Amino acid sequence: MNVLIVEDERSLSHEMEIYLTKQGLHCDVAFTGAKALEMMWVNSYDFVLLDIGLPDTNGFEILKEAKKNAIDSAFIVLTARSETDDKILGLDLGADDYLAKPFSLPELHARMQAILRRKHGLKVQIIDINGFMMDYQNRTLTFEDAPVVLTKKEFDLLHYLALHKGRVLSRSQLTEHIWGDVMDDDYDSNYIDVHVKNLRKKLAAHAPIEWFETVRGIGYRLNAQ
Amino acid sequence: MKLQLKLAIYNALSKALVVLAFGALMPFIVEKVVYNHIDQRLKARTSKVLRIIEKGGLNDIARESDCTFESYNILKEEFILIEPLSGMKDVKPTVITNEEWEIDGEKLNHRIIRQSFIYDNQIYSLQIGEGIDSLNKLKNTISKVALWATILTIIVSIFVDVGYARLLLRPLNEIVERKLKGTKDPVHFNDVPVETSTLEFQQLDISITELMQRIKAAFMTEKEFISNVSHELQTPISILKTRFENMLMDEKIDDDVADKLDDSIRKLNRMSKIIKSLLMISKIDNEQFLKNETVNIKALLQEIAEDFQEHLSTKNIRLYMQHLDEFEIQNANRTLLYTLFSNIITNAIKYNVENGQIDISATKQSNVFVVAIRDTGVGIAKENLTHIFDRFKKFNKSTEPSFGLGLAIVKTISDFHRLNLHVESEANKGTTFRVEFPIEPFT
Repeated sequence: MNVLIVEDERSLSHEMEIYLTKQGLHCDVAFTGAKALEMMWVNSYDFVLLDIGLPDTNGFEILKEAKKNAIDSAFIVLTARSETDDKILGLDLGADDYLAKPFSLPELHARMQAILRRKHGLKVQIIDINGFMMDYQNRTLTFEDAPVVLTKKEFDLLHYLALHKGRVLSRSQLTEHIWGDVMDDDYDSNYIDVHVKNLRKKLAAHAPIEWFETVRGIGYRLNAQ
Repeated sequence: MKLQLKLAIYNALSKALVVLAFGALMPFIVEKVVYNHIDQRLKARTSKVLRIIEKGGLNDIARESDCTFESYNILKEEFILIEPLSGMKDVKPTVITNEEWEIDGEKLNHRIIRQSFIYDNQIYSLQIGEGIDSLNKLKNTISKVALWATILTIIVSIFVDVGYARLLLRPLNEIVERKLKGTKDPVHFNDVPVETSTLEFQQLDISITELMQRIKAAFMTEKEFISNVSHELQTPISILKTRFENMLMDEKIDDDVADKLDDSIRKLNRMSKIIKSLLMISKIDNEQFLKNETVNIKALLQEIAEDFQEHLSTKNIRLYMQHLDEFEIQNANRTLLYTLFSNIITNAIKYNVENGQIDISATKQSNVFVVAIRDTGVGIAKENLTHIFDRFKKFNKSTEPSFGLGLAIVKTISDFHRLNLHVESEANKGTTFRVEFPIEPFT
């Protein structure tokens, strides 16, 4: 999977590159719009992570130019500007998703996965979580064909953890994913604990779940069995 | 009152005044003209009679006995009377008077010229009269005709005036309708010049356009500034956050370090949220949000309640919405109103007790629509009640949690929509927020 990171803040593009590389993606980085367009001609990217505030041009111009030339990469627009118009404009111009800075890296990764699911459409994808079979399209979870009934938030929580199997997700990262921007994580992060507690109870009713680990009081991790 | 209407009224009144004055003066003018005409004729006849007497002598026309002469025409419209004046030495000056003259028992109004002359050492009086009853009728007729003609002319001229005023004021109306009333925000100002040949309107149009362009420039500068501030502050936060996230993924780090990293990420999130909130307040204060939507408050509250279901369930709080009246607010911003209510409800959950309760009611009263949100939370101390909408107000008790900017945003949004906010609270009993929407009498 090839990713082009278009971001002029070098420290930020560097951190994104480190994280996505660890997720098994191949990353190229462009610091300017001109360079980004050039690289899009030469290489084929599955994803373009596009910053709006570039030194030489506006990210929207790159998006327009790319769409005009039928570049079929998935575009995720990244912006630190406060304009909601930007979001609408980005999606109108054909971006696949939009993330406001500061975003969380696992969130970025989850959005990319969601786009992949969407793009590759109908093929039903079943995630095996140590015997629990998760069908994301139909939003069902089964264990040995027995349905495990989860609330929407519990399902999303388990899915997010499963996406980042083997890696710790902190409470604030989980909060950000589940609640988006609505919540104040100062007091909401323990809400995650409530959801996790309920989720664990439901899962443990079917099988032992030592693989669902609480890590260092920071967050949670799904381990391979 | 519209200028056009004022002009029309002024025109009509001033012309009505002219008609009245003319109507009042008309009889006198006509009378003057008519008498002038008769007087000329009477004088001419007097001269003619005197010439005849001079040529042929008085005896030719006067009766022998007393040297008087009387002559009436058949309709008694005219008469000539010559009679000697006894006991008079001097010739009296000529006078013209109106008199009622009895001729054969019939009294008729006459205009009479009296002139004395000397003939054969005797002073005679010559009186020539002309009936004026028919003339008076003529006078009335002329007056009426003149009056009606004037009224007609004035009515026609009022219509012409109104039409012309409308034509003349059309650019002004267009400036008012399109450039002033039609402009909801400076960005969408229509700067196409109004077509007019009137210099004052051209200047007005240019001045308004220039003023609006200056406001627009300031508005755009402010908008760009807010956007740039956001960019400048969120970018470093973004860098730090992703860096800490990457560090946190490293399995080799101590628990202690991991804790600190996690805490740092939370602090960064909080900082980012504060920046967003401050910028939101600033954007509202600078009128960067449009108010062009009609919002159904009942539907909005139901939507928010739906969105908060999971959030409520984590603390096992029951939300009741038993009485919701229908109400629509016009010229509003739905996103902001959503934020207003969701911030109040967020607080109602945040400071509520486990298994607590939240009641939302929306009541239409005579001149106000009230949304009340009551919780069973910890309450707010009386001395702090007035400060809860302040930005970053620190409360005395360090144990009491900070309200952050959530309620400051609530206040800003309600000011933006001209709503009234009331809070009542009792320690350990709960808090009630009341948001009041004024009902316009004519909507």
